Amino acid sequence: MEFKVNSKEFERLLTKIIPAVPSRTPMQILENFLIEIKDGQLTVFATDLEISLKSSLNIVADSNASFVVPAKLLYDVVRSLGETTLNIKVEEKGKLQLTTDSGEYSLSYLDSSDFPEIPSFPGDTVDQEDLKEISINGEELNTAFLYTSFAMSKEEMRPAMMGTLFEFIEEGLRFVATDGHRLVNMLNTNIKHEITEQYIIPERAISVLHKVLDEKDVKIYLSKSHVSFVLSDIELITRLIGQRYPDYKTVIPMENEFLLHVKTKDLHNAVKRMMLFSTSNTRRVKFSIDGDNLEISAEDLDIGASGKESIHCTYEGDPLTIGFNSAYVNDILSHIRAEEIILKLHSPTKAVIVEPKDNKDNLDLMMLLMPVRLNN
Amino acid sequence: MRTIFHLDLDTFFVSVERIIDPSLNGKPVIVGGDPKEGRGVVAACSYEAREYGLHSAMPIKQAYRLCPNGLYIHGHHDEYGRYSKAVKSILEKYAPMMEQASIDEFYMDFTGTKHIYGSMYDFAKSLQKEIWDQLQLPCSIGIGGHKTIAKICSDYAKPNGVTFVMPGMEKEFLAPLPVETIPGVGKVTLEQMHNKGFYKIGDIAAMPQDYFAVAFGKYGIDIWEKANGKGKQYLNPPQERKSISKERTFSKDIVNQKVIEAKLFELTGKVCQILRDRNWQTTTISIKLRYSDFITLTRAKTIPATDDDKEVFETALNLFRKAYTRRVGIRLIGVHLTNFSEFSEQEALFEDEKLTRKKMFRAVNKIRDKFGYSSIGFLPEGKS
Repeated sequence: MEFKVNSKEFERLLTKIIPAVPSRTPMQILENFLIEIKDGQLTVFATDLEISLKSSLNIVADSNASFVVPAKLLYDVVRSLGETTLNIKVEEKGKLQLTTDSGEYSLSYLDSSDFPEIPSFPGDTVDQEDLKEISINGEELNTAFLYTSFAMSKEEMRPAMMGTLFEFIEEGLRFVATDGHRLVNMLNTNIKHEITEQYIIPERAISVLHKVLDEKDVKIYLSKSHVSFVLSDIELITRLIGQRYPDYKTVIPMENEFLLHVKTKDLHNAVKRMMLFSTSNTRRVKFSIDGDNLEISAEDLDIGASGKESIHCTYEGDPLTIGFNSAYVNDILSHIRAEEIILKLHSPTKAVIVEPKDNKDNLDLMMLLMPVRLNN
Repeated sequence: MRTIFHLDLDTFFVSVERIIDPSLNGKPVIVGGDPKEGRGVVAACSYEAREYGLHSAMPIKQAYRLCPNGLYIHGHHDEYGRYSKAVKSILEKYAPMMEQASIDEFYMDFTGTKHIYGSMYDFAKSLQKEIWDQLQLPCSIGIGGHKTIAKICSDYAKPNGVTFVMPGMEKEFLAPLPVETIPGVGKVTLEQMHNKGFYKIGDIAAMPQDYFAVAFGKYGIDIWEKANGKGKQYLNPPQERKSISKERTFSKDIVNQKVIEAKLFELTGKVCQILRDRNWQTTTISIKLRYSDFITLTRAKTIPATDDDKEVFETALNLFRKAYTRRVGIRLIGVHLTNFSEFSEQEALFEDEKLTRKKMFRAVNKIRDKFGYSSIGFLPEGKS
């Protein structure tokens, strides 16, 4: 069979799907695209067994076909062509013939039956029981990911933390991410729904979604084991993390009565400079707060370097000296997107609440940071 | 050009033994293993013993065959450390910069001190005299433009002499010496050298460098450079290394691995106690192992910063099990911590087993501080 496609349109399609192709995998077949031509529609699939992506394009074709081609090679070839009409011929004996005005390229393809089954959703391969459905604006989701995704854990010790919690509650949708040392908790009250469950979406799905989301609405189908995000031109299906999310509510301190107001930029710049002086293995910075003065200091015993800076703040509370991992402070300050922030403190060993001074409409953002103990 | 001294205490262990027991003077004395048991090696031997063909590191059995009338002694090892420190403190009065290379070897950089101490040769003589007057220890001193030549000179000066090679005369000085004079040329290399017809350092220096690079690799280039009078001009910077260590010499050699490991556990507990008291964390853990024949090993491993007994012990235990390969009794075992950082411990939002253990150790520390180390201990798993 044979069909024609505009090279630029084909490239755009492949660009959307390539993020699901794993770069290193023991299952070589996953390094391929599954391409299906059915009733004048060309659909490209890719999966790493955790997430799968699918997107389609209308073409003129005389018959149906499905085959598996090396993803990176096909993508690189199509990307290098410039705008032209690409004639694709699926020959027998496993050869795919690509022809342009000036060139002929031949690729090998494999039989599509070797490719793992892609869950179709909502459809018959996924458990339909308890299937929930909701529509959320792409921007709202993207904003939530911007605020929360950095805090997800990268350590496989606690799999539940390697994703973002979507907690559907009466007030809206709450997003929670934590690695056990810091936690971001963001409630969006704009999102209306009638769901009462919670789901843990894996980090890979979040990072791929983050790249493809736009301002259009996203249709989300939630089952007990999988979630499907249907965008206007692409569909992402991901496995859910089937673990219990840690009970984050119990670690949010109630008694943090010392309030520190500070300009985000002032604090951030000082912390970035102190990071240069902190010991590379602990990255410790010290905050000494007394009256309206916040002193930030760091030292590296190994190379004999140290630094300190004072910045102006407003503080209501007892003098306090508290240590942090400077990389975590830097993360929080890079993601909080507020001109002024409030730190709510209690003692040198208890969690610190970091909040924007003014929360945006319909967004309730709270970050938690565990200190580092300065002495035993 | 720099002025480097290399001071080497002559037959150091034997000299110390002769201070302790003057009746050993003038006799062939061998410090090391017990020839009757037939274990161990010669740690040091007197010049009188060397006349019989003995040298250090020779198996004690062989030494006994060559010199059955020698006086074989086990040695007072703690005394050696004391005397070495005493020598060091004399040298420290004069040397602007010093590097202790071993228990009985010191490099000193006296560059630019001519105006203070006068002639370097006479000054070396006076140093030698001061060490003899105060400690009755003979030593040899080599003076040269870099470390290698200074070391060769001190060897050349033995016993109890001073050799000074004028800067620029290194090559001429070295040329007639046998190749084994070059530090680092051992038995194997020496044989290879002889096979290729190199007997004197001058033979090596006369060849192009490329030849040595091809024949002996990188090591060959190093030898060729030394033969041509080149060497390292600068001392290793004084290492003011902070460390915490505990060692235990057993009253009799221990063969039972369980006993040694139990001692290792106790020593680890003690060093970790000090570590926590100083509010530090360690990243490098070393163990020291001395077999009954005085062969001593040290092994080290770097791990993420910790002050946790369990982590330190597990690391030390692994090092010990890997290092303890000979079926010979153990005389000494030690644990050594270095590379510290200020205490810094990330608090966690959600408690886990590791955190619980940390809290337990914190409590153990408090009890031990108050009631002594043995007031609280650990039971082996499964016992209660």
